[in-house]
Amino acid sequence: MEFVISHLVKNYGSKQVLKDVDFVFEEGKIYGLLGRNGAGKTTFFNCINGDTDINSGEFYLRGNDSNEKISIAPEDIGYLVSTPTVPEFMTGREFLKFFIEVHEEVKPEKTLDEYFDYMMIPEDDRDRLLKDYSHGTKNKMQMLLNIIAAPKLMLLDEPLTSLDVIIAEEMKNVIRAQKQGRITIFSTHLLDVAVDLCDQIVLLHNGKLEPIDKSNLGDAAFKDKIIAALRDQDNA
Amino acid sequence: MLKEFRNTLTKVIHLRSIIGYNSMVFALRQMPFFGKLIPDALYRTAFLKVIYWIFHVIKEVFMLFAGKIAGLGLIYLVSMFLKQEYLEYDQAEGVSGPELFASFSLLLFIIYALFGLLLNTRFFKCTTEKEYLVFMLRMNAKKLNTTMFVYDLGKLVIGYLIAGIVAIIGGAPFWLWLGIPVLAVFIKLFGAGAQALSYRSKRRHNKPMRGSTAGFIVRMLIVMACCPFVIAFVANGYYIPLWIVLLISVVFIILGIFGFVVLKGFDANLNRLALRDNIVHEEVERYNNCDNTRQFKKIKANGTVKGDKKGFEYLNALFVKRHSKMLVAKPVAFTIMILAVMSLFIFGFIYSYYRDFGTDNTWQMVVSNLANLIFFRGYVDPLHVYDTGSSVDFFRWVAQNQLLLLIVPITITDVSVTATQAFYINCDNSLMTFSFFKQREKILELFNIRLKLLIKLNIIPAVAMGLFENLFLFYSGGQDYPFQYLLTMLVPIEMSILNSVTWLALYYLFQPFTTTVNVKGGAYNVARIIISSLGAILFMIPCNSLVLAGILTVFTVFYVILLRSLVRKYAQKTWKAKA
Repeated sequence: MEFVISHLVKNYGSKQVLKDVDFVFEEGKIYGLLGRNGAGKTTFFNCINGDTDINSGEFYLRGNDSNEKISIAPEDIGYLVSTPTVPEFMTGREFLKFFIEVHEEVKPEKTLDEYFDYMMIPEDDRDRLLKDYSHGTKNKMQMLLNIIAAPKLMLLDEPLTSLDVIIAEEMKNVIRAQKQGRITIFSTHLLDVAVDLCDQIVLLHNGKLEPIDKSNLGDAAFKDKIIAALRDQDNA
Repeated sequence: MLKEFRNTLTKVIHLRSIIGYNSMVFALRQMPFFGKLIPDALYRTAFLKVIYWIFHVIKEVFMLFAGKIAGLGLIYLVSMFLKQEYLEYDQAEGVSGPELFASFSLLLFIIYALFGLLLNTRFFKCTTEKEYLVFMLRMNAKKLNTTMFVYDLGKLVIGYLIAGIVAIIGGAPFWLWLGIPVLAVFIKLFGAGAQALSYRSKRRHNKPMRGSTAGFIVRMLIVMACCPFVIAFVANGYYIPLWIVLLISVVFIILGIFGFVVLKGFDANLNRLALRDNIVHEEVERYNNCDNTRQFKKIKANGTVKGDKKGFEYLNALFVKRHSKMLVAKPVAFTIMILAVMSLFIFGFIYSYYRDFGTDNTWQMVVSNLANLIFFRGYVDPLHVYDTGSSVDFFRWVAQNQLLLLIVPITITDVSVTATQAFYINCDNSLMTFSFFKQREKILELFNIRLKLLIKLNIIPAVAMGLFENLFLFYSGGQDYPFQYLLTMLVPIEMSILNSVTWLALYYLFQPFTTTVNVKGGAYNVARIIISSLGAILFMIPCNSLVLAGILTVFTVFYVILLRSLVRKYAQKTWKAKA
């Protein structure tokens, strides 16, 4: 399965945020979407998630054996936002129960507590209102729900930003464990995180997506190359 | 020193002008429709900045005239009038006109200045330009505060000197023309010094800088209480001899010198800390006063949902449970109020019957009334004849023929708008990031559940209103036929259903709320205005219960179907989170 983006354009007034974006993402890989602050990473995700209307272009899924365009349904996408918002009036357990119930197509493989255990959400937190959760635990909760929903396309918008070292590491392991069978696009403005977690790095700069060859990852000059690329495009 | 003063003042005025201009452009760009036409380039258009600067100067001059000149000018005019009156009626024997004028002017001015001292205690108020200059550009806070204070004093003196022309024309001695501005400066120095002392003391005792509401009310009361005394004092022909007023002025001058000394010893760091604490205080105040979301954040984990509710039914039941106070309090309070009035109404009627005809007949009357209500058209009692031609007739006419007026109390008791805001802030805003929440069928499923909820909530006071109206009609002559009571009851119920479905559908079709409960996007507001205007026009149309209940029943059914279809068709695109 592939996720194809074709000639995607998004403007805000006279400002062109995405300029004729063309790219093919492959199943089973984590793509690091790297861009500077304000490059348009969140706008790119919002366009795919249908939260923002696009000006032109299209995106779709393509099967492995055919060239047939499969249009993307809302349930095909999982979207983790950087500042997780959760329904504050529910407890973690209530939310998880509700979430599993509304996803009739999902056959839960675990009990609620097993799911919490998998995401390392402390027992004390499970029956507390979500409004009292820490930022990290809200993030884990959001990730857990997206894992249960098992979307074909997972969009992660800077999910590790402002997490402590331990939770960030736990989250990275979960993301790695969940990459099979889906396309994962992980946006970040932190080069180290992208290099550490992702199978391929894609630069979003000047409104376009460009892949970066990661074969020479061990090369000490790799980071310098990316920074130089971003600078060059900035000056272009 | 003068150069330093000029440099600092130039920076402040320049920054103030930039902030004012940019804020104006920003506000214009936020306007619906028109805002989108304004280009970014407007922020850097030098020509418009000059125009704004000219208006800014005009505003400063206007404020000078409006405040300073008008205040003191009025004092001079009153003094001129009092002087003439006192001289004409020989109230101040042996006192010359100029002396009387000076006495009145000084006395009234001191009272006026004291009012200002008591009510205006914001010497350390941190304006936006002060915040930028001190905390971002690291300007010396004392230098800035002093410059601004001197600038304000300068404006004050100029304004008072201009107003003094009135005094000269009115026969005031020349020294008064100069004396009052000088006295004003000393009183201001005293006020600022007192605030500095108060801040220093609070800081020493680790007390937060905050204006006490109780303190402000006490000061207001003192100010207001002074007025009758002054008026009575003058009206009775008394006056305070000039030497006493001058002595009071000297006391204020000494206090002013004291204030100057305190301010001089108030170093740059203390000035900076005072400004910072003022920002903290103002932010806390702003948060307390303007946080619209506070009422939506009062969620308590009180129990859970029992039974076999699942999915969206479960979500909705939990939502109601955790927001019960917010959703239920208003309709219940109104219902209790209406029922209480109804009870008083019934009690008063029965009591008057008991008083006029004794105990035995009272129970008969209650039973016969009940029978009349159920089987016949109205209250019939030969012993207690209904008095036609009273004001009751007017209300009866309204209750029978202007039933659409019920939309006013129905709208007041309606909780739909608050509920939709709570739906968004505490629930939908977060669930909208999940894909399942955007599926057409799921959107409609939740819409239906919520519609039922809103109807249930709003129908309670509507039923109470229907009962009240029926009771009133029953006791004031009855209806034309018993079935009419049912029709009259139907009208407010249908109106509440219309209200519920309207506001819920508008929410789904426009989703105008942000997480701070602001309304973003003009379409929702336009729709609200159109619907409210239509409602206002419609409710003036005369309609009796038979016609109205019939029309409303048909209309409500079609309206609900129509709005559900619109939600089904469009909500997937329109029901989105706003930042």
